[in-house]
Amino acid sequence: MQEAKSLKVKRNLTALVDFSRIINSSIDLEFITNNVLLTCLGKFLATRGLIALKENDKITLRASKGLPSELLNQFPEIEATVNCVDHPELISFMNTAHLKVAEKISASEDCIGIVCLGEKLNKSDYTEDDVEFLNTILNISATAVQNSMVIDELRKVNRQLDSRVQRLSSLFELSKEFGSFNESFRVVKLLVYSILGQFLVQKYAVMLFENDEPDILDSKFDNANLLTLIKKYDLQKTVDSIKKDTLKSHYAELADFGVELIVPMQMQGKTRGLIFLGTRAGSRNYSLSDIEYIYSVGNLAIISLENNRLFLEALEKQKMEEDLLIARDIQRNLLPQTLPEYEKYDIAALNVSSKQVGGDYYDVIPINDEKFYIAIADVAGKGVPASLMMANIQAFLQVICRQDLKIAEATAMINDLVTANSSEGRFITFFWGFINTGTNTFTYVNAGHNPPYLLRGDEIIKLTQGGMIFGVMKTFIPYIFEEVKLQKDDVLILYTDGVSEALNLEFEEYSEERLEKKAKEIMHKSADEILNGIKEDVQIFTQGNLQSDDITMIVIKVR
Amino acid sequence: MADFSTSIRESGEVSIIDLKGFLDAHTAPTLENNFAQLIKDSKFKIVVNFEDLAYISSAGLGVFMAFIENIRDNKGDIKLTNMSDKVFNIFDLLGFPLLYEIYKNEQEAINKFSGS
Repeated sequence: MQEAKSLKVKRNLTALVDFSRIINSSIDLEFITNNVLLTCLGKFLATRGLIALKENDKITLRASKGLPSELLNQFPEIEATVNCVDHPELISFMNTAHLKVAEKISASEDCIGIVCLGEKLNKSDYTEDDVEFLNTILNISATAVQNSMVIDELRKVNRQLDSRVQRLSSLFELSKEFGSFNESFRVVKLLVYSILGQFLVQKYAVMLFENDEPDILDSKFDNANLLTLIKKYDLQKTVDSIKKDTLKSHYAELADFGVELIVPMQMQGKTRGLIFLGTRAGSRNYSLSDIEYIYSVGNLAIISLENNRLFLEALEKQKMEEDLLIARDIQRNLLPQTLPEYEKYDIAALNVSSKQVGGDYYDVIPINDEKFYIAIADVAGKGVPASLMMANIQAFLQVICRQDLKIAEATAMINDLVTANSSEGRFITFFWGFINTGTNTFTYVNAGHNPPYLLRGDEIIKLTQGGMIFGVMKTFIPYIFEEVKLQKDDVLILYTDGVSEALNLEFEEYSEERLEKKAKEIMHKSADEILNGIKEDVQIFTQGNLQSDDITMIVIKVR
Repeated sequence: MADFSTSIRESGEVSIIDLKGFLDAHTAPTLENNFAQLIKDSKFKIVVNFEDLAYISSAGLGVFMAFIENIRDNKGDIKLTNMSDKVFNIFDLLGFPLLYEIYKNEQEAINKFSGS
């Protein structure tokens, strides 16, 4: 009997030494816990058991044998205290799980874990000796468990560090990459791919607010629905990221739609776009640092997108400026290069184009020794379309004034041509007439233009007879002409509203009153001097203010 | 621009894409085109061999996410093989093993297709 007992002790000792050797030869926590558990089960012939270890001051299940997973899910959350094995919740769990004993693994008085074992195969209870032996096993394993726990923790920290490093290097790389793409769709692809790859997401959308209108650049959601929801929830006001919980409580339809995170893309504190993301693989949540990362990448992308947009805008502007130069050339070439000379008529004309290309036009067309036409027109609008309209008018005019038509009929024809050839809303005010140098008569028609002045002595006669402005509709009321007999020293002044409506810095108009006053004052001078006198008076008035409209004038003085 | 190239081989009904060099934002379109072409040709059983891949950026990883849904919807898969430790570490850090089957060698991956 004695011999049998000593043999048993010897066997136990050998097993313990063996166990100690194996367990201390490893730093793999999983291997160690597994081994401790198996050793205990084998030693006491128990069919079930578990081992739980301290993690962030909580006892967390690490390994188990013979226990169904629905039971394991009920493992209670208990603090890692000295008397943790006496915790009522643990005791109640043990009852449910048919676990008989619980012993703690201690390292220098601290509880670093517990082992629970189920009933023995032979249904006998655990004796004091058994418990003592169990404690011996646990004491032997304590150091190994603790060491491997530390190493495990180190591994975790290392992995977190790796993760950080990876993110930082990704961000660094992206910040270089974003700048190197000048096509927006590439920037968006890069943004999308870097987020998909980083977070294992499949559903996403990237959108910008262009002039407050949402514009989806790339998406795996239903775009029409998404646009509706963006407007419905007024997402342009989004300043902070919207996370899963808030989506569910405040943006239910988006959450139902599969959106799990919305991150704004901001520039200069203003939300310029949004990134929508669906669920991550493995149903992991987006952590704060994940959201920060997405936010950073999004902001890198928006800067690049904005730069591209500005670049395109600059290109467009450059192109428009080139167009304007061409338009200005067209315009300049349309105006008469030289003015005809007549013995009894002193003619002067002027066009000062404003910075933009305006739609003023004037012409003096000699027909023969006894007859010449003068015309002045103002095309509504500026730029290339106005220039082209002017070119049309000039062509009509050149042809029509040589056709020996009555001037009122000719005016109606020009209006019909202009109306047929102009797009909606493009009007022309037009005044023209011809002077017969033999009879000294001026026959004119005024189609909605600022009435020219005929200065005679103290009198100013306004030449208003005519009809409708050009380009509104086909002529249905005939134009009226008027024939004026000219006298020596009469002065005709034709001008566009660029003269009378020139603004000074106080936004006051030069006005017809000022024009009339100045004209009277200098009407005794030559046509050229009158013209320049008025021009200078306008310039003195508007001093400092940029000329906003063309200034066009024709002055004819009867000698 | 970093050096990157791909080539496609066939093994039975499995298409194998070999990656070589640096897969980053600039070179990602090459791989995008490969996937797009395979999908267009209804070749959904794809093995990607990383043997000669020196580096993969997060944008490169995104390419795999962008096509997987479509490919799996068509009863196919993208299986990854022959990664260097460095490349595997990145895939592992980001949790790719959750979503993708990653094998040590190519034949193993090809066999998985014929097995299923």
